Amino acid sequence: MNELANFLPTVLSRSGLTVPSALIPVLAMFLCASIMAAFMGLSAAVLVWAERKLAGHFQCRLGPVYVGGKFGWLQSIADGIKLLLKEDIIPDQADRPLFRLAPYPVVIGVLLAFIAVPFSEKLMVTDFNIGVFFILAVLTVEVFGVILAGWASNNKWALLGAMRAAVQMVSYEIPMGLAILPVVVMAQSLSLKTIVAAQSGGALHWFVFQPPFFMAVSFLIFFIAGLASLKRAPFDLPEAESELTAGFHTEYSGMRFSFFFMAEYAGMLLVSAVASALYLGGWHGILPGQESVWWFLAKTGFLIFVMIWIRWTLPRLRIDQIVYVGWKVLTPFVLACVVGQSLWATLR
Amino acid sequence: MTAVTTYFSDVFKGLWTAMVGMSITLRYLFSKPVTEMYPDVKPKTPTRYRGIHVFEEEKCIGCYVCAKACPVDCIEIGVVRKGKEIKITKFDIDYQKCMFCDLCCEPCPAHCIHMGPEFEKASFTRRGTILQFATPKTLTEEEKKIEKIAKK
Amino acid sequence: MNSPGVTIDRDVKTDELVINMGPQHPSTHGVLRVILKTDGEICLDAQPEIGYLHRCAEKIAENLVYGQFVPYTDRMDYVSGMGCNLGYCLAVEQIAGIQAPLRAEYLRIIVTELNRIASHLLAFGTYGIDTGAITPFLYGFREREMILDLLEMLCGARLTYSYIRIGGVDGDVPPGFIDKLREFIDIFPGKIREYNKLLTFNHIFMKRTTGIGVLSPETAIAYGVTGPNLRGSGVRRDVRRDEPYSVYPKLEFDVPVGTTQHGGPLGDAWNRYYIRMKELEESTKILKQCVEQMPQGPIMAEKVGRVKPPAKTEGYMRSENARGELGFYVVSDGTMQPVRVKVRAPSFSNISVLPEIVRGQMLADVVAIIGSLDIVLGEIDR
Ligand code: SF4
Ligand code: SF4
Repeated sequence: MNELANFLPTVLSRSGLTVPSALIPVLAMFLCASIMAAFMGLSAAVLVWAERKLAGHFQCRLGPVYVGGKFGWLQSIADGIKLLLKEDIIPDQADRPLFRLAPYPVVIGVLLAFIAVPFSEKLMVTDFNIGVFFILAVLTVEVFGVILAGWASNNKWALLGAMRAAVQMVSYEIPMGLAILPVVVMAQSLSLKTIVAAQSGGALHWFVFQPPFFMAVSFLIFFIAGLASLKRAPFDLPEAESELTAGFHTEYSGMRFSFFFMAEYAGMLLVSAVASALYLGGWHGILPGQESVWWFLAKTGFLIFVMIWIRWTLPRLRIDQIVYVGWKVLTPFVLACVVGQSLWATLR
Repeated sequence: MTAVTTYFSDVFKGLWTAMVGMSITLRYLFSKPVTEMYPDVKPKTPTRYRGIHVFEEEKCIGCYVCAKACPVDCIEIGVVRKGKEIKITKFDIDYQKCMFCDLCCEPCPAHCIHMGPEFEKASFTRRGTILQFATPKTLTEEEKKIEKIAKK
Repeated sequence: MNSPGVTIDRDVKTDELVINMGPQHPSTHGVLRVILKTDGEICLDAQPEIGYLHRCAEKIAENLVYGQFVPYTDRMDYVSGMGCNLGYCLAVEQIAGIQAPLRAEYLRIIVTELNRIASHLLAFGTYGIDTGAITPFLYGFREREMILDLLEMLCGARLTYSYIRIGGVDGDVPPGFIDKLREFIDIFPGKIREYNKLLTFNHIFMKRTTGIGVLSPETAIAYGVTGPNLRGSGVRRDVRRDEPYSVYPKLEFDVPVGTTQHGGPLGDAWNRYYIRMKELEESTKILKQCVEQMPQGPIMAEKVGRVKPPAKTEGYMRSENARGELGFYVVSDGTMQPVRVKVRAPSFSNISVLPEIVRGQMLADVVAIIGSLDIVLGEIDR
């Protein structure tokens, strides 16, 4: 963002506009925000399409084929338009202000988190010195939206979905946070930029492939907990469609529903991006010296593919099993990783 | 098994079977889809397909046997009979009721009603789902008098 | 990952939540309505409420001649219509003293077993969906499609066959049918192994379904539960073997029963489900034998014409449909129409056991238990 703020005056003066210099940072902020929002919306659209297409092929089907030519490229745009044009229904007995409010925390949480994602050395909104921590913190805002939505809908299924979301959160949040620690210990920093920079020099320097592989385990745990935080299969209990019809967003339709939907897909992108920055070397390529935003996007894309792949393969867990997995499987393992990695770092 | 081994084998099995399942889905990701591109490519119905009826009017003798055999009484036949001459004035099948059971085709003495290969006869109106198989005819007054319309 | 029957210290008394599940709910398999009383996620009571699909089938039968009722039996258990056709036709044949020719009997068994496979594949797929895995459903449907194609070739319809008629079957095999059937028999065992790998032995799936909805053999028998659900509880009872009809005595097949060797207790949801997977194999075996043994000959008994059983005769015929013991009780008064037809629908007895086995389970398990009972509402409500 600072680069953008430095860069803006030149562009503006070239195009003959004069802007008071005090406004420049504000303008840069707005630009960044709108670029991020547009990026999120667009990536959500692409991801929805990709998910449907992949799901189709996983199941020996074709997925969307009609809208926008052979591969149904424009399917999610068409769906988006349809959702926008739909009537915005608020149930009679719902808590109206809360019902309206609920989608926003969900979207804002994910959107905010994107600020700290390092797409490449230069291409990031801002480099916090507590980047990782920030992302984890704002991601939890999403849960408030979910619980609000479930409560405000005044629907028993939605309420159950919301309660499940709350239960689920307390069980995945801790392993997810702890899973980052080995990386932090290794990179000696919470800033994502520094963490990625510490992994330069080819695939063997990526944190997943670092002996003694504590970080590989914590990568797995981060990924699993990430799936849970995104409410994606096999942890899609809050919206488990075969049990709770649609869970917390049962009563939502049209635009508000699309917010939840978009947040889920943007969240997928976010978790994959963070995972690839933390463990998979971010913008660093497989061979030493390769650096590009495309590497970052490719790794993120691969992780998203794995998420989709998992979703279309595995059955769903039960709520007590999620709590079990969170507390009794992920947490001990991740603690072991943290301790092991710290010992390794001090002894080396 | 002690609790500890159960615990570790659970964790291992959870990951392993997930991986086995994923390998299967991955294999199908690259296999050929089995989808039929229905409205673009019409499926080939087998010869015995029980679709919309095919009616051969010139053979029909207007005996109502088919209408009687029908469990849901959805065939309506109108006949004008003058000596040897038989005119089928009406042969309507109500496809809202018809259940494509083939029971009407078997007993027909003249073998003039069959189940056909056609299956796309949806309509936006109720009237439109009643298909008229007899060619429309203008009847003389005298013929109108002796026309018999029967529905079983 | 947690042992079933979670014990919770109830020092806090919370309100019970009454939830209306259905009639429009993704996993009640039709228009079943279940009134659930829950305490949070724990289900305290469940009352199935039926009747949304009632079409007076039994009454209709009284106003139709015997042969005309066959298409209605398709619409009872619409997932395995052939079995219903067969049950009804056997019952009428029994009281009218008609014997179908041997070739027809073999054809009947071929189609009912094919239909049983199709039905179990549907049960497998929907059970996957109930537990959250969507892909097995599509895989199951892929193979089911092959069966439906076969049946379509044979009788022209894909779901409501009315292929089996009183005194025989509707038509002989068309050219190419037997080859296609052989091909199916050859590839199918491989597919079953794949299903098992993908879903049956998936650890998450096993943890989800073992130990829930345990149906003891005593309860099962008391409620009249039959079919895979009863066999899942370890009772080796199969009408095809115990009171063989048609050509079943000539065929060799096992009757799989529930096991404890995969970790769960007898009669849990996983066992009920697993019986169906086992039966897929058994049915394939039966099909193979039928194709080999099938003689040439007529496919319709001679001089069936209008079925007119003697007056004051009545007969009850049970047959093993995909869901259990399907009984038809037909009373004749000597006219061409039956006086009374009573259907003993397996799903009806099977669903009645639901309140017994869902108590104390989690909400997600209720779905899994309903799925494991594999009900068809068309048959329950008739
Ligand atoms: S197919 Fe069956 S229902 Fe349809 S007209 Fe013929 S007898 Fe009636
Ligand atoms: S049974 Fe055949 S001949 Fe008689 S009315 Fe029907 S179609 Fe015509």
